Amino acid sequence: MLLEIENLTKVYRTGVRANDGIDLSIDSGQISGLLGHNGAGKTTLVNQVVGLLKPTAGSIRIDGADMIADPGLARRLCSFQAQSQVPIDGLTPRQAIDLLGQLRGASKADARRRRENLVDALDLGEWLDVDAARLSGGVKRLVAFAMAAVAPGRVVMLDEPTNNVDPVRRRLLWQQIRSLADEGAAVLLVTHNVVEAERSMDRLAILNAGRVIAEGTPAELKAGLGAELRLELVIDPRATELPVSPFGRSVVPVGNRLMVGVPMDAAGPAVAWAEFLQRAGTVEEFTLGPATLEDVYVAMVDGLGARSAEMEEGFDASAA
Amino acid sequence: MQALRSYRLLVTWQALRKKAYLPLMMAVQTLFSLGIVLGYPLLFPTLDRTTIYLIATGAPAISMLSVGLVALPQTVGEAKSEGSLAYMRSLPVPRLAYLVADLTVWLAIVVPGVVLGVLVGAWRFGLDLQVSPLVVPAVLMVALTATCVGYALASVLPYMLTVIITQAIVVFVFMFSPLTFLPDKLPAWLETIHRLLPIQAMGEVTRGTIAPNVFPLPPGAFLTLAVWCVLGFLVTYGAMTRRA
Repeated sequence: MLLEIENLTKVYRTGVRANDGIDLSIDSGQISGLLGHNGAGKTTLVNQVVGLLKPTAGSIRIDGADMIADPGLARRLCSFQAQSQVPIDGLTPRQAIDLLGQLRGASKADARRRRENLVDALDLGEWLDVDAARLSGGVKRLVAFAMAAVAPGRVVMLDEPTNNVDPVRRRLLWQQIRSLADEGAAVLLVTHNVVEAERSMDRLAILNAGRVIAEGTPAELKAGLGAELRLELVIDPRATELPVSPFGRSVVPVGNRLMVGVPMDAAGPAVAWAEFLQRAGTVEEFTLGPATLEDVYVAMVDGLGARSAEMEEGFDASAA
Repeated sequence: MQALRSYRLLVTWQALRKKAYLPLMMAVQTLFSLGIVLGYPLLFPTLDRTTIYLIATGAPAISMLSVGLVALPQTVGEAKSEGSLAYMRSLPVPRLAYLVADLTVWLAIVVPGVVLGVLVGAWRFGLDLQVSPLVVPAVLMVALTATCVGYALASVLPYMLTVIITQAIVVFVFMFSPLTFLPDKLPAWLETIHRLLPIQAMGEVTRGTIAPNVFPLPPGAFLTLAVWCVLGFLVTYGAMTRRA
């Protein structure tokens, strides 16, 4: 494995245990996602890998080298797109990307060539010479990604790279993230966007309260839930009580909807039950479909008692 | 070699970031020096010759302090609070290169105003300034000490506390520091405090090198400044390299 994290624990001076015995490994060519609600410990984890924070315990190794003992090496081996905006007001995307490429050790010509490719691939040409102070948040995020990708390290860490990016360029961005992995980088990506995570990641780790509560490929995580189908019920606002699922699987309320886990062989009874509820006036409409990673994520985090407000935020982000 | 390359690229980055405001900041600093030189005689129409020399040679130090101990800590504090300082710290460049690059840009902002302020003061009052060659290290030392101490303040304090403290520093530097007057005008206890702080030494090396024919350069002034400069630099460097 290229990046190996073992028993990583970070306790802040305030006593907050932001990471609690995290084990995680990513191989070259892999895109691995970190999912979790706000405050789950995702950003603390990446800040430790890049040498901004010192772990309380545990180890971080890249290609066998100890990153905690040598944070300077960690910064050389890791490209990093931070969660916060990059300080580039006053610079144009052309200047910012070229400068970062050279700061990461690329020659001027190589940085320029790579920047041209990225700008074309992300369709950023119209903003190439515009002062970053006048760019939208989404375009700035793309520029920040290009800065991380212009001369990538062996590990590329991206903290919520798709935030505020429009749907079309978001697809272009995912292609470029995949290209980074194809070129041999290990990509660690922090996101709230469960839908994109399911579609684009090779492996996923779900963090809750500083611990990894599940890890695997999206398919493995979904299989672990046990519910192969999802029945989505839109509850009638006049209904006095929520229906009780007869299927013995997860039931997760989200706003005025109820997500009910259903075994694959119970599709017929599920539809019959939903039609009965509709006739009874409890349910306005329903949809039966394959279970998604979102169901897994919500069921897991909900099962551990995460605050609903944080879950809603996760859903909002994924729906955007 | 790598450190020099990083330094050059980071100076470019920081200068580009400030380019929209750089001319304005330089102009304000120049006006700052000019304001002191030309404004004091309006407040006090009859000034003796020594006081005029003190004002003309004290204005540059006040200008440098206003940048180093007020504008810089507020800017650095803001960068720290919004996360952009952490981003810069995540780059694969020597921390020293980043720090020195930032200080270089701040020096470029402050020095033109200092030079112009002295020239206009000399012209306005017809002063006979026999400027010593030591003025170059003196101005660099004062500016560097002010910026290092300012950087140290912003590095170790929370942003809001930095803002509040820098406001207090403005009052302290303007009204209660021996820059446009001699230390013997101060109450004894404040005079003692100023013997320990770098501000008095800043005034002494500035006037002692701009007008050495009027103000002798106290032997220990450069040493006091050097101690504060190194101290400020070490605290800042420590904060830049420290992993929380």
